[in-house]
Amino acid sequence: MIRYLARRAGHGLLMLFGVSILMFLLFQTAPGDFLSEMKLNSQISPETMASLRVQYGLDQSLPIRYWQWAKSSARGDFGYSFFYNAPAASLLWPRARNTLLLTVPALLISWLIAVPLGVLVAGWKGKWADRLFSGGTSALLALPDVLIALLALLIALKTGIFPVGGMSSVNAQDQGWWAWLRDMGWHMLLPVAALVVGSLAIILRHVRASVCEVLESSYMRAAEGHGLPRFKLLFRYALPAAANPLISLFGLSVAVLLSVSLLIEVVMSWPGIGPLLLEAILARDLFLVIGAVMLSTVFLIAGNLLGDVLLYAFDPRIRRQA
Amino acid sequence: MTSGDLGLSKPEPLLRTLGLSVDYDAAGGAVVRALRNLDLEVAEGESVGVLGESGSGKSTLALALLHLLPRNARVVSGKVEYRGRSVTEFSAAQLREMRGGEVALISQEPALALNPVLPLRRQLADVLLAHHKVDRDAVSVRCNEMLHEVGFADPERILRAYPHELSGGQRQRVAIAQALICRPRLLIADEPLSALDAATQAEILELLQRLKRDLRLAMLFITHNAGTLAAVADNIIVMRDGEVAARGSIGKLQSSPDEYVQGMLFPEKSLVGEPRTSVSAAGERPLLEVRGLSKKFVQQRMLSRKKFAVQSLIGIDLSLRRGSTVAVLGRSGSGKSTLARCLAGFETPDSGEILVEGKPIVKPSKNKGGARNPVQMIFQDAATSINPRFTARQVIAEPLEIAKWKTDAERTVRALALMEEVGLDPAWAMRLAGEFSGGQRQRLALARALAAEPELLIMDEALSGLDMPLQAQMVRLLIDLQSRHGLTYLYISHDLNFISLFAQEVIVMEVGRIVERTAPARLAESTNPATRELVEASERLHAPGVEAAV
Repeated sequence: MIRYLARRAGHGLLMLFGVSILMFLLFQTAPGDFLSEMKLNSQISPETMASLRVQYGLDQSLPIRYWQWAKSSARGDFGYSFFYNAPAASLLWPRARNTLLLTVPALLISWLIAVPLGVLVAGWKGKWADRLFSGGTSALLALPDVLIALLALLIALKTGIFPVGGMSSVNAQDQGWWAWLRDMGWHMLLPVAALVVGSLAIILRHVRASVCEVLESSYMRAAEGHGLPRFKLLFRYALPAAANPLISLFGLSVAVLLSVSLLIEVVMSWPGIGPLLLEAILARDLFLVIGAVMLSTVFLIAGNLLGDVLLYAFDPRIRRQA
Repeated sequence: MTSGDLGLSKPEPLLRTLGLSVDYDAAGGAVVRALRNLDLEVAEGESVGVLGESGSGKSTLALALLHLLPRNARVVSGKVEYRGRSVTEFSAAQLREMRGGEVALISQEPALALNPVLPLRRQLADVLLAHHKVDRDAVSVRCNEMLHEVGFADPERILRAYPHELSGGQRQRVAIAQALICRPRLLIADEPLSALDAATQAEILELLQRLKRDLRLAMLFITHNAGTLAAVADNIIVMRDGEVAARGSIGKLQSSPDEYVQGMLFPEKSLVGEPRTSVSAAGERPLLEVRGLSKKFVQQRMLSRKKFAVQSLIGIDLSLRRGSTVAVLGRSGSGKSTLARCLAGFETPDSGEILVEGKPIVKPSKNKGGARNPVQMIFQDAATSINPRFTARQVIAEPLEIAKWKTDAERTVRALALMEEVGLDPAWAMRLAGEFSGGQRQRLALARALAAEPELLIMDEALSGLDMPLQAQMVRLLIDLQSRHGLTYLYISHDLNFISLFAQEVIVMEVGRIVERTAPARLAESTNPATRELVEASERLHAPGVEAAV
């Protein structure tokens, strides 16, 4: 088990290394850099420009810049943001926390809804309730995430009950931690709901499909033939047998939620990684972009690692091979 | 629930069907008739055998009795009565009580009857808990007892295990324990032996006989093998196309003039001909030569650094003459299948060499150029080795397509010719493989293997999944094809059916070694323990006079 995890974590590190190299290369080939816009300003002399280039290290060759960045990463700074004049890490951590604040509840809620519902719907296969759900999930799947976010904003605007974006009210922190927490929860509600709606349909369909497949199997018929109660059949016999592909999907759904989250954060002005990444890309803030991308990669790897651990814990057959 | 709740206490038959007819709705609005006007009675303590070839509706009957038919099946007429009450009148709770509590089912595939991800303790205990309110200690005691009863010496180890950690025979015994743990009145056994090797079959059969005697269990024993029925059934019903073709004791049926009944009881009779002698061509180079072949598999346990090397093949020497048939026999786990997979190039042996026509074999995965492979393999289960969504033509023409053999039209012509050759109607070329029956699919697999014009055909338990009359037909077809095309067969099997009529040489394997080479006619005289076990198992399984396999 330890060796299995260590191997997986090793793969993760390799992947981080690869992503960082790729990011440097991509930025190198993209036209312009952080100082390109200043060049247009005739008030700044070429000498100043040159000294700025040296200051930011933009005059160095790619391998040297990568080496500098790697050293800085080892210190925990992950390079320096040109735009904010601060280590990239100090900007990224609070943003990452905010993004997790959206994605973790959204992940848990969508799975907690999708698994029991999916199993029940699979149990009703072919009946009208099943068809209704299939229709509903198809409609949800067809809805683009942006539209969901905009709809959520529309609801907030029309009803006036929900805050229209942001993470907290202006004076929230003055009224004690309980009020502050409630205020933040209230702000979280719509973005989390948008995320759940965006990811629920696909998970639900997968749960239904894999439970349906298991229900057709001969061991389920055998269990039914032994007179086991229906609830037990569905949840304690079919679900564990169907869990394998779902656990892999769980790891992947972290990635999907993360990318949807970036979008929703921008639309609903949630101060997560999304808006930061957007600004950084527009400003060609090299290290901040790389830092944000690396952070997303870490989340993705962590999600998949979690999936692997769960798979190991759930499936006795995998335990034997590992 | 006690028996009184379920109906009358008059001496009614335990279970009875009256004019039962069941239809399946097939794709495209077609209706397939599975059962027609079936009358059947099982009294308390009585055992009834149901004999029929695959497709005769036997399994449908088993499911219909427990009201477990799949969604696309309909009871068209007639009814099933349990203790005088129609099962359709049962409430969901009463039905649940009957299933497992009063009438238990053992299904065909032990490997597939147990949930793969749950420990056996839970699967056994849940059946008990579904019908009785018992505390944890009592459950544990009862599970242990039950496993003892089905012949496990160390129930605790079995209870901790998962299905994949047991052998086929052990799994079938656990499935029997599951069925009997609530002490049902009637056991429906749907082909409980067909997926097991001959020695295990004999063990399970003895177990069922003993349980039937000790527990006064009524039994409905469904099978295609008349030999096993003679050993367990008081009365036999022979089924054909969903209808009863004949009924009575085995003695009465043996004297029946009906050709179908005779074919079911004596599948060997349809095979005429002398035991075959080898087509010796001395001095000629053998088609296949194997020298010092060894292969081991390495396994590792959870949280352990220890590795277990399972030696699957040890120093195998083998040579096959062109046009001959060699049978490889052995229990499951003796390394037969690994040998076949090495010869076909699916596994890379650790040491030793395999020469076909004097040249080393080409691995299928490396065979990018699409060269014709002189070795072809047919697997045990055609249902899983053929894509059910391919049409018959696609299945057969696929190897030709991969080999870039001529044009599409010519490939179709060849596919149709091959279908004809293996006894399939070429008019079915556009049917999906999934719509063919088990025996027909095995013919499709044969046609596909022949498409590559092989010299050597390896059949890994290729007939074991078929019922006896179909096996006899296939053997006849294979002998016919051999004489026409000069094919060489390596026939791998766990039982001795048809061996004497089919093979010139028999090789017996045990834990990865060849322990005996002999002629089929001299198997019975062998003194080797592994061979003796196979011969005796086969004798126990087949009542005298029913089959003359050896």
